[in-house]
Amino acid sequence: MLLETLKRAFDYYPDRVSEKSPDPSVREVALLLKQRPLSLFSRSIHVRMVDAGSPNDVELEQQLMMSPRVDAERFGVHFVASPRHADVLIVTGPVTQNMRIALIKTYEAMAEPRAVVAAGDGACTGWPFKGSYALAGDGSVESIIPVDVKIPGNPPNPYELLAGILKAGMLIDKKRKQRK
Amino acid sequence: MADEIKKFALTLQKYLKAGALERVEERGSCIWMKVRQGELINACEGSLENGAIFDSAFISSSAEGKNASRSASASRSANPFVAYYLFRVPSLGMMLVIMAQGKEFSALSANLNAAIWDERKIQDLTGLLLQGIPDSRPLIFHPESGMPDKHPVGGKPFIKPKSSDYIIKGTGMEGEFELGVGPVHAGIIEPGHFRVHIFGEQINKLELRMFYLHRGVEKAAEGKSLQEALPMIESISGDEAVANAVAYCHAVEHALGFKAPERSEFIRAILMELERIYSHLSDLGGMPTDVGFSVAASRFAVLREDMMRLNRQVSGSRFLHGMCVVGGVNNDLDKNKLLLINHSLENFTKELERVEQLTLKSSTYLDRVFSTGIVTSSVAKELALVGPVARAAGISCDLRKTLPYSAYPKVPFTESIEKNGDVLARFLVKLAEVKESAKLIKWLISHLPSGALQADLKVPTDEESGRIGVGWSEAPRGACSFLVELTEDGKIRRLACRTASFRNWRGIENLTRGNIVPDFPLINKSFNMSYAGTDL
Repeated sequence: MLLETLKRAFDYYPDRVSEKSPDPSVREVALLLKQRPLSLFSRSIHVRMVDAGSPNDVELEQQLMMSPRVDAERFGVHFVASPRHADVLIVTGPVTQNMRIALIKTYEAMAEPRAVVAAGDGACTGWPFKGSYALAGDGSVESIIPVDVKIPGNPPNPYELLAGILKAGMLIDKKRKQRK
Repeated sequence: MADEIKKFALTLQKYLKAGALERVEERGSCIWMKVRQGELINACEGSLENGAIFDSAFISSSAEGKNASRSASASRSANPFVAYYLFRVPSLGMMLVIMAQGKEFSALSANLNAAIWDERKIQDLTGLLLQGIPDSRPLIFHPESGMPDKHPVGGKPFIKPKSSDYIIKGTGMEGEFELGVGPVHAGIIEPGHFRVHIFGEQINKLELRMFYLHRGVEKAAEGKSLQEALPMIESISGDEAVANAVAYCHAVEHALGFKAPERSEFIRAILMELERIYSHLSDLGGMPTDVGFSVAASRFAVLREDMMRLNRQVSGSRFLHGMCVVGGVNNDLDKNKLLLINHSLENFTKELERVEQLTLKSSTYLDRVFSTGIVTSSVAKELALVGPVARAAGISCDLRKTLPYSAYPKVPFTESIEKNGDVLARFLVKLAEVKESAKLIKWLISHLPSGALQADLKVPTDEESGRIGVGWSEAPRGACSFLVELTEDGKIRRLACRTASFRNWRGIENLTRGNIVPDFPLINKSFNMSYAGTDL
């Protein structure tokens, strides 16, 4: 009985993130974590997301990124409710005409230094609706606001998203040092 | 033609003027009825009185088809639009398509509340003015964000509206406040604008403004080959990718007049049930989240992540993308994969039982969900709601049973129905459906026939142009239907789609009245409609 309970408790442990993992996206996250500075207070990244036209799949993966299996919160990644609190803006796409104004307003509400992550094939290139009358620009996030990190994938899995956000966090560190 | 169908056609004829019914045809599990333009609304109302349920309304333009045959082109330029009104007829187990050709149409929504969004969408897409429509504000285009130069269907030039304001009125009650939420929400969800009119904590009226995610799927698919369009269909709504792809494939197979091999239909059914499981798990976890019951939410999230990993092992994609193609399926499920699915489902059902106990024994949770956001069966009927939302209000509407498609005519399947129509009822329906899906997958695996995976895709050349097909499926959120028109060389001339979310959003508008503001997110989550699936 006790053994059974213990076994089940271990079932809920998050995945081990190591460089020897068979999953390449997990290995990438492990490598990135190694490169990050070991300062006590600048390790957390606050993220605001805007869905500018994705079919909801990237959002589902982002939700799972915060679920106990992946648990991005243990690496300091935290989703916030307002762009005013955010360091990183993660945008999914393709960007539609109707979302263009909302996206620009969200981006402008963020404080410097900031970084933008385009997540998914749609956000990176406008695929598969490129050329549609309802897209803003060519559908990619780049054509609306400046993008720092691109995460390809249809949709990218939670670890790929996590790696992209960590990269954006490191970029912000760099930008902060340049300002000093 | 079967006797029942003849009888149905005869009863419908009583509602029409003499000679107005031009053609009745039975093809696949569809009844095609062509009526004269002026009699369209009478035919629709007649079928509604005879037990048909409104499904969707589409319009297509026949004038712009590149390969339209020359002899018919003269009549086409005079009557450039074809309207299709789709009805489900459960008594016959068939879909009824009433079509009419013309240049001006009247609105069915003058008498049928359920059709308002469909017809507002038609107005936006074509630039037609439907006579008698109760609400003619633009739906899919937002004037303040800019409009395209011409209407996507038919190519009429766009006339700019006089004012770019979208007027949302309250109830006019003294002391009423307006609360605007969105389009960018606080959580990790899709965009949409909610305008809540509140008095104190009580909601007097809620109005939605959607279509922020309008990507022009229907137009973008035009001119594409049948397989090229599939990534677009899968991108309509992320967690309904397989259901939409299956409905699209059925529509094309219906138009071309062939059937996918039996083994591929079984595999499609397995994929659809796998999708239903992971999609429902996100709703089941979402309801406890919005109540603040994070233990249950986390455990549901773990179950979901494990199912997604199973999906990846089975199909190579966590969202089962790319498996379903026109004519069959792309990849076989071999013995090892089937064993893996069986084994994972056994562990899954055990764990689900534990989480269910945990959730349904919590009095805090039950207190919040019981009698919150009630959909009565009369509202569900009036708005023609579909899916778990309607089933939680006691309406039998599962297409797997009422209009069986794919492998479902053979599958022993019980529909889960609750009576109360509140959030708890929707929770229980979804929970029962997850369990039923797990059972169905086991049955399908044990009865999986051997045989080919794909039928040869041949575009018949002898038929006249304008091949049309209708397909449907029961997506996790409810019934979705597709209509495709093909050109002579087997490309898409017009694609029209109506997902379950498009039907059900108006249910949320209706039922939040009288609830309190903090319950709104919970009600919204219990519906869990797809914004992208609505906006297309």
